Amino acid sequence: MPATDFQGSSVPFASIGRSLLSIRRDQVHAVDGHHHDSPGGGAAHDLELEVFQKHVADLFVDLASSPPAAAAADELLSLAWVRRLLDSFLICQEEFRVILFSCSKGQRVLLARPPLDRLLSDFFDRAVKALDVCNAVRDGVDQLRLWRQHLEIALAALNGGRPLGEGQLRRARKALTDLTILILDEKETAGGSILNHRNRSFGRSSKETHHRRTGSGGAAASAGHFRSSSWSVSRSWSAARQLQAIGNSLAVPRGNEVSATNGLAFPVFTMSSVLFFVMWALVAAIPCQDRGLQTHFSVPRNLPWAASITSLHERIFEESKKKDRKNSCGLLKEIQQIEKCSRHLAELLDPVEFPLTGEKDMELKQGVEELVEVCNALKEGLDPLECQVREVFLRIVRSRTEVLECLSKSHNPE
Amino acid sequence: MERSQTVTQKFSSFSSSSSSASSREDRPREIDRSRSLGPVKLEKSYGKKERDTETVTIEEDEEERQEEEEVEVVVVVNKEEEVSNVPEEPSEASFGSMSEEVDGFLSFLLSIDDGRDQWPEPPAMPEPTIKKFLDFVEEELVKYESGKDGVSPPANDELVLFDAIDRVAKLTSALSIFSSDTRYNKAMTRASSILRYAMCFLEDEFHSLLEDSKPKKDPGIARPKAKRRPSIGHLHEAIDRCVPPSSEPDLVEFPSTYPPEIIERLRGIAGAVVSAGYATECCQVFTIARHNAFDVALSNLGYEKLGVDDVQKMPWDSLEAKIATWIKVFRQTVEVAFPRENDLCEAVFAGHSTIAYSIFHNFARGVTILLLGFAEAVAMTKRSAEKLFKVLDMYETLRDMVPRIDALLRTESEPDDCSAAHDLTTEVALVGSRLGEAVVAIFCDLETSIKTDMGKNAVPGGAVHPLTRYVMNYLKYACEYKNTMEQVFRDHKTSENPSSQVEDAAKGSSDDSHNPFAIQLMEAMELLHTNLESKSKLYRDPALCSIFLMNNGRYIMQKIKGSTEIHQLLGDTWSRKRSSEMRQYHKNYQRETWSKVLACFKDDGLQARGHVAKPVLKERLKSFNAMFEEIHKAQSSWVVSDEQLQSELRVSVSAVIVPAYRSFLGRFSQYLDTGKKSGKYIKFGPEELENYIDELFSGNPSSMVSRKRT
Repeated sequence: MPATDFQGSSVPFASIGRSLLSIRRDQVHAVDGHHHDSPGGGAAHDLELEVFQKHVADLFVDLASSPPAAAAADELLSLAWVRRLLDSFLICQEEFRVILFSCSKGQRVLLARPPLDRLLSDFFDRAVKALDVCNAVRDGVDQLRLWRQHLEIALAALNGGRPLGEGQLRRARKALTDLTILILDEKETAGGSILNHRNRSFGRSSKETHHRRTGSGGAAASAGHFRSSSWSVSRSWSAARQLQAIGNSLAVPRGNEVSATNGLAFPVFTMSSVLFFVMWALVAAIPCQDRGLQTHFSVPRNLPWAASITSLHERIFEESKKKDRKNSCGLLKEIQQIEKCSRHLAELLDPVEFPLTGEKDMELKQGVEELVEVCNALKEGLDPLECQVREVFLRIVRSRTEVLECLSKSHNPE
Repeated sequence: MERSQTVTQKFSSFSSSSSSASSREDRPREIDRSRSLGPVKLEKSYGKKERDTETVTIEEDEEERQEEEEVEVVVVVNKEEEVSNVPEEPSEASFGSMSEEVDGFLSFLLSIDDGRDQWPEPPAMPEPTIKKFLDFVEEELVKYESGKDGVSPPANDELVLFDAIDRVAKLTSALSIFSSDTRYNKAMTRASSILRYAMCFLEDEFHSLLEDSKPKKDPGIARPKAKRRPSIGHLHEAIDRCVPPSSEPDLVEFPSTYPPEIIERLRGIAGAVVSAGYATECCQVFTIARHNAFDVALSNLGYEKLGVDDVQKMPWDSLEAKIATWIKVFRQTVEVAFPRENDLCEAVFAGHSTIAYSIFHNFARGVTILLLGFAEAVAMTKRSAEKLFKVLDMYETLRDMVPRIDALLRTESEPDDCSAAHDLTTEVALVGSRLGEAVVAIFCDLETSIKTDMGKNAVPGGAVHPLTRYVMNYLKYACEYKNTMEQVFRDHKTSENPSSQVEDAAKGSSDDSHNPFAIQLMEAMELLHTNLESKSKLYRDPALCSIFLMNNGRYIMQKIKGSTEIHQLLGDTWSRKRSSEMRQYHKNYQRETWSKVLACFKDDGLQARGHVAKPVLKERLKSFNAMFEEIHKAQSSWVVSDEQLQSELRVSVSAVIVPAYRSFLGRFSQYLDTGKKSGKYIKFGPEELENYIDELFSGNPSSMVSRKRT
């Protein structure tokens, strides 16, 4: 059999990709030909695989392209962008599933035959780890909801009837200060030290209690009222570690793997990379426990989707290194806006000089408008985002169940 | 205009009545009491404290207070002469009348709010009273705050204070109607400052009540322990007796929420804060405090948050323990913690049912989703037979809790269309069906394990095969969950044959004859049967082969007799078929073993032309003896552990052999030489023979030869 000559030989790195597919096309049919009902089946199958690669590439090119200036709401790392990212993931996942099942129709054995069985169970090991990221991100979305409420308080106070009472100004300032402290707090956690988190997680320390009492309503103290422990994730969980585990030993399939899997090793690799990148980007954008973006990510440039994903990765990584975002608790554009907006307003309100001068009132009105914008973006974006994260979770679970069932059935033929 | 004047007059008359100066000694007793609770040391340091609300700083000290007033005037108080007339300490009576006066003014302002265009000039305002009133409220707040470090102040004081705060809130918004007027504006600013100060401090108070009022532990309410099913980790060895229930830690309860007096105070604060328009802050403090409290309670109950990944990696015995904890915690949460939390929300936010509902709903949602995560992760673990029962327990837990969650979340206003309840119960049901799918898959895996059990070693003595024990014990426990299993199979068994689905639909689900679980069970039984038949071929002796089949068949029948559920599922036809098979095995055994023996006793060939051929007779007896000894030797080592079957077999053998032997001897022993030599041919008396038969199938190889000689 010609294909056996191919096994074990390593293909030069540069020729991996499309060229490999074509090598395989010539050689694999001899091995797998008997699986195809019609002589044309193999070619159709290869076409399907290529279309998948191409489609993944298109989706990420789209995500990487900078939107026209007018559509700034869609820019990189905005809520809208993250939602598009998840949509793209869902599409990839679905097409991947179709490929696995269409080419194995009536021949389950194919999925269960080494090395594809190993590659698939490897992929789903990564996918299971991604589920924990989904749960943590869901928590993060809750966190954002909480922050939004503080903004809403400030908004309710500042957007009330004119002229503003001093009490309203102070109320707004307190809400914003509480929020700033909450965000700072989150940065400590997100910044990495789990130990820090542990110390502050439960209740207030006795020192803090003392401070609160004597401080009587001072903002520094009352932010403690709004600290909550993370819902679903245990306190030792680390997003950074999880990401590392997802990306661990993610390797381009070798030539013999490609040939022995009827080419399926490639979509598995593609999907693993997409999964890894999407989870990494989620962690980058959304607050979650012990974020850390220093994970190694590299794919051979000549894969059709590699360029756009790599460029996205680089851009997001660059963003995380920017001075003002270095210690941020999430690169989401809206978080930046929250911070900017609340800092700006808090500055305007500190100290509260009453009554407001006309100029200050104007500035305040402007600040409030920005605030309204962020609030609306969060209000409209958070619920659908949570649904999508959940959907990603469910889809992963479903296709994992399908594939594993398939594998176990073929291992125990009836 | 006229109306406004009368109102003003009225107000001034009130204010004059309250102008009688009162000294600190005349302070109302209640206030004194509340004050005495506060630590005295606070008084001196007060002035140096940095406060958020600098303008409303108030000194306890009389002299300083006057200085302070002058400072305050700059910011707050109007320049009117009334200031100098302000009494230093209003009496209780005057506070009451001040309140009335403010109320009167409030209702007046509200009454003209609609037609305020008709008021080119804002109506006159009872400024002195408002000033005095606000000062008084402020002072009360300070006193209240300084007192709260000690024992909680008398509830009555609080109510008065909350009432006053409520009035300040109303005043703030009412004054804003004419806020373009300088005097109104100033008064409004002052009122809103005091209001905000009050809100800050109430937020603190609310928070510390929530956090620090640690509930006392419930005097362990003894709840009936749920019926526990024995765990069958080791079915292969286990066998027929029930494994004693594993010792689980005692059921720990969620702590109750707060004592009634605390709830009362929380309600008071929440009421004041919500009606002042500060509901969001209050709800957040409440939500987070309760969330944190639940989190602590969870870990006190031994619940550990596990990731999906952790669960996949965990060895089964650890996971089994986690599942047990989860079941306890989930039931407790829904049955105990949720109703309590709901009651708490309703009590604290009494009169604000929307707020109470939304807080409770968020709480229930967060907690449920957290707990569902674990069930979801378990449903994803590698299928294996031993997991069936724990997964079933989880499934039942979710199934039982759905209606409770639904009932808690269903609002009275829209009992039929409540999306909140619907969304959450859908989530629960979704995870439930994932567990259901796991149950089906695990149970169907039993088929695979039966099919693949292809050991080449026969069980010595034809005894019950471990596979039979395993499968039957497994099925027996599975059938203890009969109703759940049937439900799960109806819901989640995807028919492999699409046409049978059509049949299902045609037959209707109520038709007992089509029960996917029963079919699955039947299939497992058939597979076991087939497997045992092929295992029986491992025995070279066909009689032993029958004994093996009989032993296993009897074991199966006994198990089925012992479990009404299996019996019902398999039906009488099945049992009858098996019984007749058993009879066939028995006949086969009789034929294989004893027909040759019986041949010794035949008359044919013994008597030729009316004479008994002695050599033939001797030969016959010799061969009978040898055969019987051989059979006895072999078959006493065979195992029939079922006593009834053992005695049935012995009796049936005796019934065939002993009478035949007796009659044979009766007919022919006379032809043998009497005396010593006859013992050579007639080794056994009929009774002896019976005794030897009774030693068969005991599993103890015993040689009668050795015994004979001794």
